[in-house]
Amino acid sequence: MGGIQFIINMALGSLIYLGLLIFVVGFVHKLYNVYYKTPQPLKIPQTPQPTTLGGVILRMAGDVLFFRSLSKGTTLLFFSGWIFHVTFFLILQRHLRYVLSPVPACVTFLNQAALFIGFVLLLALIVLLVRRLLDERTKYVTNFSDVFVLLLIIGIVTTGIMMRYEPFRPDVVGVKGFISDLLAPATAVGYMTLHPAHAPASLMFIFHLGLVSILLMYFPFSKLMHSGGYFFSPTRNMINNPRDVRYVNPWDKGSKEEATK
Amino acid sequence: MTDAKAPTDAPGDCNARVQELIKYVKLPYDHVELTGEIKVPKIQRDSMIKVHAQQLTSKDTLARLGYPTDGLIPNWKEVFLEKMDEILKKYKSVRLFMDICVRCGACTDKCHYFLGTGDPRNMPVARAELMRKVYRRYFTWPGKLFGSKFVDGWDLSEEVLVLWYTYFYQCSECRRCAVFCPYGIDTAEITMAAREILNSVGLVQKYMHEIIDKAQVLGNNLGMQANAVVNSLEFVRDELQETTEIPEIDVPIDVEGADVLFVTPSADFFASPHIESLYGYAKVFHQAGISWTMSTHASEGGNFGMFVHNYEHMKKINKRIWDAARALKVKRVIGGECGHMWRVLSSFSNTMWGPFDYLDAKYPRPQHICEFTLDMLKRGALKIDKTANAEFTATIHDSCQVARGMEMGGQKYGQFEIPRGVIKGVCEKFVDMPENTIKERTFCCAAGQGLLGDDMMPTRVKGAMPRMQAYSYVKKENGVNFLALICAICKAQFSKMLPTYGFPMEEVGGIHQLVGRAIVLGAKEGI
Ligand code: SF4
Ligand code: SF4
Ligand code: SF4
Repeated sequence: MGGIQFIINMALGSLIYLGLLIFVVGFVHKLYNVYYKTPQPLKIPQTPQPTTLGGVILRMAGDVLFFRSLSKGTTLLFFSGWIFHVTFFLILQRHLRYVLSPVPACVTFLNQAALFIGFVLLLALIVLLVRRLLDERTKYVTNFSDVFVLLLIIGIVTTGIMMRYEPFRPDVVGVKGFISDLLAPATAVGYMTLHPAHAPASLMFIFHLGLVSILLMYFPFSKLMHSGGYFFSPTRNMINNPRDVRYVNPWDKGSKEEATK
Repeated sequence: MTDAKAPTDAPGDCNARVQELIKYVKLPYDHVELTGEIKVPKIQRDSMIKVHAQQLTSKDTLARLGYPTDGLIPNWKEVFLEKMDEILKKYKSVRLFMDICVRCGACTDKCHYFLGTGDPRNMPVARAELMRKVYRRYFTWPGKLFGSKFVDGWDLSEEVLVLWYTYFYQCSECRRCAVFCPYGIDTAEITMAAREILNSVGLVQKYMHEIIDKAQVLGNNLGMQANAVVNSLEFVRDELQETTEIPEIDVPIDVEGADVLFVTPSADFFASPHIESLYGYAKVFHQAGISWTMSTHASEGGNFGMFVHNYEHMKKINKRIWDAARALKVKRVIGGECGHMWRVLSSFSNTMWGPFDYLDAKYPRPQHICEFTLDMLKRGALKIDKTANAEFTATIHDSCQVARGMEMGGQKYGQFEIPRGVIKGVCEKFVDMPENTIKERTFCCAAGQGLLGDDMMPTRVKGAMPRMQAYSYVKKENGVNFLALICAICKAQFSKMLPTYGFPMEEVGGIHQLVGRAIVLGAKEGI
C-alpha cells in the first residue's frame, strides 16, 4: 500500500503544482507581455461605439456578463454558451469552500441547488459538443483542439458530479486536509525532500484533480486565452473619440516638424 | 496540404508554379435568384477557388511601392515569416485575434461572400484560419516544438500562398463578422495583414495597388494630372451654371483663403451617378454662403492605403490633404460621400498627422458632408422643395466603413441618424430595409476595399446578393425606387449590380443627388 500511495501522493501533488505554475506564469505572461505590450497603431473601435470611458466599460460589461455581441447572431450557441459559462463560474466559486476556512456564506448559498447546477453545466457542455459536430459550418472550422478541450471539461465535470454519489464519495475531511496541506509553503519544500502531502484514497478524486491540472497546463497555450484576451480586444475596448482626442500610434508618434515638412 | 519542395532547391520554379496556380481567368458569373429573403446556403467546397484577382506586373509601379518586381521571390519563406513576425509585433489587433478565436461558428453565416457563394473558406473564421494555421505552426511554442500536425497548422508551401492570395482577395474588409463575434475579432485586420505579407514576397494585386501608387504620385486614384482635374471641374461648373441658370454658382479649385477645403473621391468629378452628388455639394455650399475650394494637390478623398497593413502608404496619401489644407489657408476640412475615406479622415488622420488645429482652432476635426448639410438644414440655411423628389421612395445602404467605423456629429449612432436625417429632410418618402441588413449589421456592397476591379465580377455579383435581396424586399413591399448611397465604391458597384439583378440603373444615387434636386437656389435667407 505504502509504495503506491507514495507514488500517487508525489504524482498528484507535483502535477497540481506544475499545473498552477504553468497556468499562472503563462496566463500573466500572455496578458502582460503579449496582449498588453503589443502596440495598437490605430483606433479601430466598432459600433456601437461609446465615446466615453464609462460607455466602453458598460459595453464590455454587456459582452462579458450577457454575451451581447454573440446574442446578436446565433440563438442556440448564445444560450448554451452563456449557460455553460455561468454555471461553470458558479460551480468554480463553490470550490472555494475547500480552500477557505471559515467558509463565507457567499460560497455556500447554493448548497441545495449545486448538484442541479452541475447537471445543467454538463448538459450545456454536451449541447456545445453536439452542436459542434452536427452544425455543418461549425464542424468545418472545428479543429481537434476544440473537441479536446470540450472533452476535457466534460471529464472534469463528470468526475466532479460522480463524487457526489456513493461509492465514489471521497472522505471530505481527507480532501480538505490534502488541499490545505498543498497550500502550506512547507509542503512544497516537502515535495523536494520526497515528503508529499497525503492524497485521499479516492480514484475519482485523483482523476478529477489530474484532469484539472492538465487543463491548467493547457490553458495558456490555447484558445482559452479568450477569457483574459477579450479585455484587450481593440474593437471593443477603445473609446471612439479619435477626432477629438489624438490617439498616438506607439511606433509612429509623429511630430509637428515631420508634419510641416 | 503537403510541403512543397524547398524553393532554394529550384530557384525560379516556385514563381512559375504559383503564377500558374493563381493565373487570372475570366470566369462566367450569374446572379442569385431574388426572393427578398437571405438564405444561408449549404457549404459548397471550393466553389470560388478559381476566382483570382489580377496581379500587378508593372515593374516601375512595384518598385515605387517597395515590393519585389519579378513575382514570387526565391527565398519567399524567409521573407514571409519575417514580415508576419513584424506585423504580429506591430498590430495588437492581429496578434490578439490570432490567439483568442474559439471557432464558435457565430460568424460563419455573417459574410456576404459566404452567403452568396457557399464557399466555406469565405466564412470569416475559415478565412482567418488560413493565417492562423501558419501562425500556430511558426509562432507558438507547441507548433515550433511538435510541428504542424500537432497544432492543426500548415507548413509554408506554394499551395498555402495560393489559398491566401485567393481568399484574402475575397474579403472586402467590411467588418460585419466582427459585430457578431463575442470577442470582436475583426477579420478585416487579418486580411489587411495577409495582403501586406503577400506583397512582401511579390504577390501584389493589381487594381488596388495601382491606385495606391497613383494616389501617391499624382494625388488621385484615377491618375489624372492637375490640369485634367481642373478641366473636369470646370466642366462641372459650366454644367451647373447652365442647368441652374445662376452664373455665380461655382466649383472653386485651389482658391487660397477659402473657408472650407472639400475633398471627395475623384470619381465624383465625372462618373455617373457620382457627379450628381458633386452638383449637390456645390449647391449646398453656394446656398449656405460658405466659401469653399477643392484642391488639385489633394484631388482625392479616398485612401486605398487603408486596405493593406502598410502604414506608410496610407500615411503618405493622407498627407496630401493635410498639406493642401495648410497651403490653401482654409479654416476647416470637409469630406464628401465616401466610405473608407471617412474612416481614414475621421479615425486615422489625427493619429497619423495630428489635428487640423493649425487651421482654425474652432474646427480641429474633419467633418462629413452629411454632418454639414444636416446642420445647414436644421438652421434653415437651405430652402428645400421636397416635391422635386416626389417621384422617389428612398432607402439607404449604410456603407460599412461608415456604419461600423466612426460616429458622426459626436453622437452615438450619429452615422445612421445623420444621413437618414438628410434624406428625410429633402425627400418625403423614406423606408428602411430589414433591420438585419442595415445600420451596424449592414451588408457590404461586395466591391469595397480593393475588390472593385472587373477581374472580381464573380465575387462582386454573388456577394451583392444579400443587399439585392433586401432591396428587392422593400421594393416589393413599399415600392422603393431609389437606393441612396454615401460611398463612391458603392455607387460604382451598384450601378453595375442593379442591372445585373434586373433593376433599372437609375435607381442608384448619392444622398446629395437628392439634396441637389430639392434645393431651391436663389433668394438667400442666410444663416
Ligand atoms: S465568432 Fe469570433 S470567436 Fe467565433 S468563430 Fe468567429 S471569429 Fe472565432
Ligand atoms: S470583413 Fe466582411 S468580407 Fe471580410 S470576412 Fe468579415 S464579413 Fe466577410
Ligand atoms: S464600397 Fe461602400 S459598402 Fe462597399 S466596402 Fe466600401 S464603404 Fe463598404
